[in-house]
Amino acid sequence: MENLLLKIGQNLFLIFGLMALGGAAVMVAAKNAVHSVMGFLLAMLAMAGCYLCIGAEFMGVAQLLVYAGGIVVLFLFVVMLVELSKAKEKGVFQRQTPFALVLAGAGVVGFVGVFWKTIFGTSAQEALTLAPGLVTQGEKLGNAQMLSRGLFAEYLLPFEILSVILLVALVGAVVLAKTERV
Amino acid sequence: MPTPTLTQSVLIAILQAILVVVFIFVIVPLTLFAERKVLGYLQQRLGATRIAGTLTGLSGFLNRNMWKMGKIPMLSYWRGIPMLVGDVLKMILKEDILPTKADKFVFFIAPAISFVASVVVFAAISFVPGTLFTLPQWVPVIGGLPVAGAVGDVNVGLLWILGIASVGVYGIVLAGWASNSKYPLLGGLRSGAQIVSYEVPLTLSLLAPVVMSGSLQFSELSRSMAVGLPIWGIVPQFFGFFIYLTCGFAETNRMPFDMPEAENELVAGFHTEYSGMKFGFFYLAEYINMTVVAAIASAFFLGGPWLLPFGLQGLFNHFLSPHLPALLVTFLCEPHAIFFVGKIILLLFVYIWVRGTIPRYRYDQVMAVAWKYFIPLTLVNLMLAALVRYFAV
Repeated sequence: MENLLLKIGQNLFLIFGLMALGGAAVMVAAKNAVHSVMGFLLAMLAMAGCYLCIGAEFMGVAQLLVYAGGIVVLFLFVVMLVELSKAKEKGVFQRQTPFALVLAGAGVVGFVGVFWKTIFGTSAQEALTLAPGLVTQGEKLGNAQMLSRGLFAEYLLPFEILSVILLVALVGAVVLAKTERV
Repeated sequence: MPTPTLTQSVLIAILQAILVVVFIFVIVPLTLFAERKVLGYLQQRLGATRIAGTLTGLSGFLNRNMWKMGKIPMLSYWRGIPMLVGDVLKMILKEDILPTKADKFVFFIAPAISFVASVVVFAAISFVPGTLFTLPQWVPVIGGLPVAGAVGDVNVGLLWILGIASVGVYGIVLAGWASNSKYPLLGGLRSGAQIVSYEVPLTLSLLAPVVMSGSLQFSELSRSMAVGLPIWGIVPQFFGFFIYLTCGFAETNRMPFDMPEAENELVAGFHTEYSGMKFGFFYLAEYINMTVVAAIASAFFLGGPWLLPFGLQGLFNHFLSPHLPALLVTFLCEPHAIFFVGKIILLLFVYIWVRGTIPRYRYDQVMAVAWKYFIPLTLVNLMLAALVRYFAV
């Protein structure tokens, strides 16, 4: 019993990872757009599970809160409200297929290369970290406290610049939407 | 205290989960029944009374005679209690209808998403800090071990609650879409938009306790909000409580914000096509969400498992507890799960009270209230909390 539970606990990451892959596969393969959004949701939830498994609980719940709770809802709204049948009649998706295949192939090659290097290369021996001070603090503090100290004390300027970039994107989206309507 | 092995801690977690489910399935039917009765009295009628007269002959007999004497029978306050069973039986036994053109899989999974999301939230809710009770020695395998007051009192408990609760909106939106009918679709979209917008002021109003206590852990938050605050902490807590409660009403789709099921506009909103136990899951999820909102409000603003609300307990403990006898100190100054449950029940009553008192908003008014009034108000409240944190703690 003890051994079985231990085995399950050690392999939880694998289980969640396979769930995420399954969700992603459903998302790509589903004929119905709403079903593919549901696959996306499953992938996002399983990703949150993966983060929880490796002890990054703040990342995990942030994933839940931002992606599963916010962004996928927007996807669902758009998919439900947009008539996809008209896009199908025009053959938009068929025209994009060769480009999509090329891009996906390039992505697969790149990712396999990166994973190959991280799993079997020398870089797997040492932990990837930017600020060693934060890591030693993190053993005493909680996950969220450590992250906030890093964001708002040590890397305040880059963080604020990032948020300004997001704001610019937001304003740009509003401007685009406005000009279309007028 | 022996350290539990992995098997033992898994068994204890299962036990805690069972206790939470029992708690839910006791409190939800009672709220359903209370809603019938309390709404009845608020509208100057007796509420559900019919079933008792036929099931228990004596009370019916007494009641009839009291009616004849021209008095409202005392016993009728308790009549209708078998309605509890009746409600549940109706849901289980009713025919389960699947519309012909509905999307079968989504139609099936939507109530499940709604229900599961609302139950899983309870994992992070801590009923009492530390140990709830210690198991007696005769229990096999897990005897003598302490059972904690929360299933998993994780470091980021508040974020877990908000994250899982935000997954619940899929149940509503997908149910509206899968029914393949106009009214449910409109109801689902409305409700989705409403829940997504009210999440913003709700989260912002919960940030004030986080700023003041400096933690995201549920038990630590409720502890420092109850006993660890200076006197100025009452001000942001007081405003925050009312803002949070109003947003909570909107988030759980209750009166006066029950847009998704505005009968005069949308038949029954997103669950128009649902019947039987599938509808029952939506119904249960609504009441469990109410319980969750009440639990968070009572933990962060009303003192949680301590007796006094709004952080007054800290002052009470500091000034009065040296002068009280030891028995009263244990009762009044220390945390008890029963106080927490009592506050949840009180807030559930407030829900029903508000439903019987305030008429429904119009849809544009609902959205305007969220974006134009609550978000600025919560930001001001957050500023107040930050000032308290900066100057007083």
